[in-house]
Amino acid sequence: MSRLSFRPRPLDIHKKLPILKSFKDFEDDDTPTSTTRNSQLLRIASVEVDNENSNSIILTIVTYYQVAPVPTKKPASEIPTPQFVIVDTYERDYSPTFGQPASYLRARGARSELGEFVEYDLDNEDEDWLYEFYKNNEELSPEKLESIIFKLEVLDHKTRERAGVITPTLGSPVPVLLQFDAAVDVYFTFTVFHSLLDWPFILILETVQNISKIIAVSVLQALQSLSINYGTFQAIFNYWKDKRKRWQKPVLRRLQPPPPVNDTNPYNVFRPREKVHRLHTRRMQRRENNVQSFEKLRQTSVKFMKSRNLPLQCLLLIHGMQYYQVRRNLGQAQTILEALIKREEKKRDVMDSEHETELLEESLALPGFPPTTTSYKFGSSDDELMDSDDYTSTRVRTRPAVIPNSRFTNLNLNASQAGGIKQEVRRRQSHHGWLHRLDPNEPVMLFTKPLVPDKLAAAGIVPPAPDSSLGQTPSRFQGRIGRGGRIIFDRWNPLMQSHINCGDSYYIAPKQRSNNFS
Amino acid sequence: MGSSANTETAIVSASPASNHNNPGTNGGDAHTNHTPAAILDLVVSEPESSKKRRTGVLPLEVGTRVMCQWRDGKYHPVKVIERRKNYNGGHNDYEYYVHYTEFNRRLDEWIKLEQLDLDSVECALDEKVEDKVTSLKMTRHQKRKIDETHVEGHEELDAASLREHEEFTKVKNIATIELGKYEIETWYFSPFPPEYNDCVKLFFCEFCLSFMKRKEQLQRHMRKCDLKHPPGDEIYRSSTLSMFEVDGKKNKVYAQNLCYLAKLFLDHKTLYYDVDLFLFYILCECDDRGCHMVGYFSKEKHSEEAYNLACILTLPPYQRKGYGKFLIAFSYELSKKEGKVGTPERPLSDLGLVSYRGYWTRILLDILKKHKGNISIKELSDMTAIKAEDILSTLQSLELIQYRKGQHVICADPKVLDRHLKAAGRGGLDVDVSKMIWTPYKEQS
Repeated sequence: MSRLSFRPRPLDIHKKLPILKSFKDFEDDDTPTSTTRNSQLLRIASVEVDNENSNSIILTIVTYYQVAPVPTKKPASEIPTPQFVIVDTYERDYSPTFGQPASYLRARGARSELGEFVEYDLDNEDEDWLYEFYKNNEELSPEKLESIIFKLEVLDHKTRERAGVITPTLGSPVPVLLQFDAAVDVYFTFTVFHSLLDWPFILILETVQNISKIIAVSVLQALQSLSINYGTFQAIFNYWKDKRKRWQKPVLRRLQPPPPVNDTNPYNVFRPREKVHRLHTRRMQRRENNVQSFEKLRQTSVKFMKSRNLPLQCLLLIHGMQYYQVRRNLGQAQTILEALIKREEKKRDVMDSEHETELLEESLALPGFPPTTTSYKFGSSDDELMDSDDYTSTRVRTRPAVIPNSRFTNLNLNASQAGGIKQEVRRRQSHHGWLHRLDPNEPVMLFTKPLVPDKLAAAGIVPPAPDSSLGQTPSRFQGRIGRGGRIIFDRWNPLMQSHINCGDSYYIAPKQRSNNFS
Repeated sequence: MGSSANTETAIVSASPASNHNNPGTNGGDAHTNHTPAAILDLVVSEPESSKKRRTGVLPLEVGTRVMCQWRDGKYHPVKVIERRKNYNGGHNDYEYYVHYTEFNRRLDEWIKLEQLDLDSVECALDEKVEDKVTSLKMTRHQKRKIDETHVEGHEELDAASLREHEEFTKVKNIATIELGKYEIETWYFSPFPPEYNDCVKLFFCEFCLSFMKRKEQLQRHMRKCDLKHPPGDEIYRSSTLSMFEVDGKKNKVYAQNLCYLAKLFLDHKTLYYDVDLFLFYILCECDDRGCHMVGYFSKEKHSEEAYNLACILTLPPYQRKGYGKFLIAFSYELSKKEGKVGTPERPLSDLGLVSYRGYWTRILLDILKKHKGNISIKELSDMTAIKAEDILSTLQSLELIQYRKGQHVICADPKVLDRHLKAAGRGGLDVDVSKMIWTPYKEQS
C-alpha cells in the first residue's frame, strides 16, 4: 500500500504524544502495519482467556524480540544457577558482635589514615618462613611478624618519600631504601611512642627537647615490652629485605605504585586516569588546598626540619603526635600541635617560604573553609598515619572544652587563637567605626581582606557623613577588599534598614525597628 | 525472562555435533534449527575411533574439540582452551581447561582427563579433513552459526577487542572463593596481582574484602579486622537492608578489592583504571555478625556521558532474589536526587540487559497505564530519570510507539501493557525513597 512508501518522521522527544488506550483505535484505521505484535498479542489474549496456553504467548514475545526494529538483544540463552555452598566454619570465624546503631552508620577514616590497624596479612611465604623460624626454638607470633613487616613497609615508604624517590607509576623495580640501623632506630622509637601514649602530655612536649636522652632508655624498654630481641628483629628485617628484593615492589599493596598510563598489559590494573583539565582561575592559583599545594607545603616543612638539623626522632615524634591526634584525644593533641606550630611561627624568619605558613595559618583560622581542606595541613602522605576524617571534621570548630592540665589551658587559649590573632589585630588596627565589623553573624567572605582606613583615606575615600535625619549610627557600613583590590561595600536597604546581601536581609534589628517605627 | 529463552537454547544446544564447526567463519552465517534427524545423522557419521588413536591423541592440543562430562552428568561438546601439567603426573598427564561451546564462558573450567570422552576427540588436523566431508553432508542443513556462545553476550563489542579480551581472559585463574558464609564458584578471570597466580581458591574477608590464600590467614585476619560493614556512609536502611556509599578515593584498597572480586563474576568489567574516580554503592543484609554484601554498583563521580552506573553485580548466593532490580532502581533514585537523567555504561552483559529492559518496561508501562492525556518522551524521561534513548528503545522494542496519520502515538491498551508487564517480571524489592539519606557527591579538593 501507499502508506509504506514514506518513512515516518523522526520522533521528537519533546513532542507530546497521544496515548491510545485501546487497540480499536488502530484497527478502525485500516493501516497495513496494523498486524503488529501487540495486536497479535491482544488477539491471542482474547482467544485464550482461560490462559491455558500461555507458553505460546511467551513464544510470540520471543519471536518479536528477534524482529524488533531496534537492535535489541535476544534473551540470554542460559541464565546459570549460582553455585555456592555454606562455609561450615563461618559461625566460628565471624563473631556475632555487631550491634546496629539506631542512626545511619558514618564512615570513619580509611585504615591507612587511622594508622592503628595492621594492614598487612601474612602470606604463604611468610608463614613458611615463620615455620622455619620456629625450628630454631624462637618465639615470634604471626601477629607480631605481621605488625613488624607492616611497619617496615611503612617506614621504607617514608624513607623513600623523604629521599624523593617515590615513583608515581610502576615502571622499574622499587628498591628498599630503609637501612637496618635506621629501621632499628625508627622502629623502636615508634614503638616507644606507642608506650608514650599513656604519658601526660607535658612529658611528651618535653620529650621533644629531650628526645635523644629518652631514646636510649626507651629502646631498652621497647625491646622488653615487645618481648622481641635484637636478633629476631634483625632476622625479620633480613627476611623482609630479601622478600622485597624478590618482589621488586612494596609488599603492602597500598604502597605499590600503579602501572603507567601507557602500559597496555591487561594484567596490570588500576592505572591512574589522566586528570580532567580544570580551569585555572586566579582564585585557584592563590590558595587552593589541593594535592600540589599540599605537597609544596610538605616539602617546605621537610626543608625546614632539615635546615634546623632537628633529629630524625623529633621529626618522628611530630609525626607520631599527629598520629596521636587521631588515636586518642583529638582536642588535646590539637593543642600540642598548635602550640608547636606557634613556636615555629615565632622562628619563622628561618623559613624561606613565608607564604606557605601563612597559607597554613589562614586556613586554620577560616571557619568558612570546608573541613576537608584542612586535612592536608599537617599531614602528609609521609604520615599516612594521621589525617582521618574524624580529625578533619572535628578539628576546625571544636576546641577542647576542658583541659585537665593547667599548663595546657594557657597554651590552648593561645593556640586556639594562633591563627585568629592575626586577623584580630588587623581588625583592631582598623578600629574605625564604619570599617569595623561588629556583626558576629556576618558571613566570613573568602578571599577578602578588611579595609585599611589609612589606605582608603590616601585614596580619597572617606566615611560618609551620618545621616542625622534617620538617626543612624555611622557604623552600619560593611566593606572589604575583594579580589583584585576592589573595594566592596554591602548594599544598604533603606526600607528595611539592613544590609541587602547580609544573609537574611529582611531581618530588622529590634533597635532599628524602634528607630523606624516608633 | 528465563523461560522465554527456550527457543534460543534450543538452537544453541541442538546437537553434540556442534563441534563440527568451522573455526574460520566466526559468527557470519545465519543459523537454523537442526532437526533431531539431522543430529542423528551427524552423530552416526562420526568417524570410528580405535584404541590406537585414543592413546595417540594424548596429550590433547589446545583447540581440540571433544565431548566432556559436565556437572549434570551428561556429555557436552567442549573446546580445549588451555592445558597444564599435573604436578606429579607423567609427561602426558595434563589437566585441561575447557569451554562448553553450548554455554556462556562463565562455565569454563578445569577438568580431569576422566571427564573427557576421548572417542569423540577431533584434533585440528582431523577437523580440516572432516570439514570437507561434513560441509558436503551439511548442505542440507546449512552451516550453523559458528561459536554461537562465544559471541553471545557481547554483541556490543567489535571483533578485534573481543578477541583480545578473550585471549587475556581465556583461563579462569581463581576457581572458587570463600566470602563470609559462602563458598562460591567463580565465573570469569580476574587480574589478581601476580603473587596470586598459583592459587585456585581465595579467602575473602567479608567486610574489608582483603583476600588471602589460606584459611588460617583469613582466620587470623578475622581476629584483627575491625570492620563490620563497608567503610563508607550508610545512605539507606530499610529493615535489614542497608546501602553504603564508599568513595574510591578515600578507601582505595577496599574499592580495589571489590573490583577484583566483582571481576570474578563479570565478563566485561575492566580494571584498567583506578578506582578513585568512582563511588561504590554496596548493598548489605545486616544481622548480628555485621553487614553482609549482597551486591553493589559503581558510579563515576562525574560522567560526561550521563552514566549513572558503571558496574553492577549481585553475588551468586543472593541472585534471583530481586536485589539486582533493587540496585538498578536505586541508581535511578540517585539520579533523580541529582536532578539528572542517567543510563548504564555500555556494553551491558547478558544478565544486565535483561534486568534493565525489565526495569524500563515496568517503570514506563506503569506510568503509561495511569497517565491521562498526551505525554512526550522528554516528560517520561524527567519523571523517571531514564535517558530518552533508553525510553525510545524500550517502547519501540515493545512496539508501543506507532506512526499513525502522520504522527507518532503511544499505544497503551491496558491488556497489552499487562502482558508486557507480566513478561518483564516482578520488580523485586522496592526502594523506599523516604529512607534515603544522601546528597550528591561534591568534589572536595
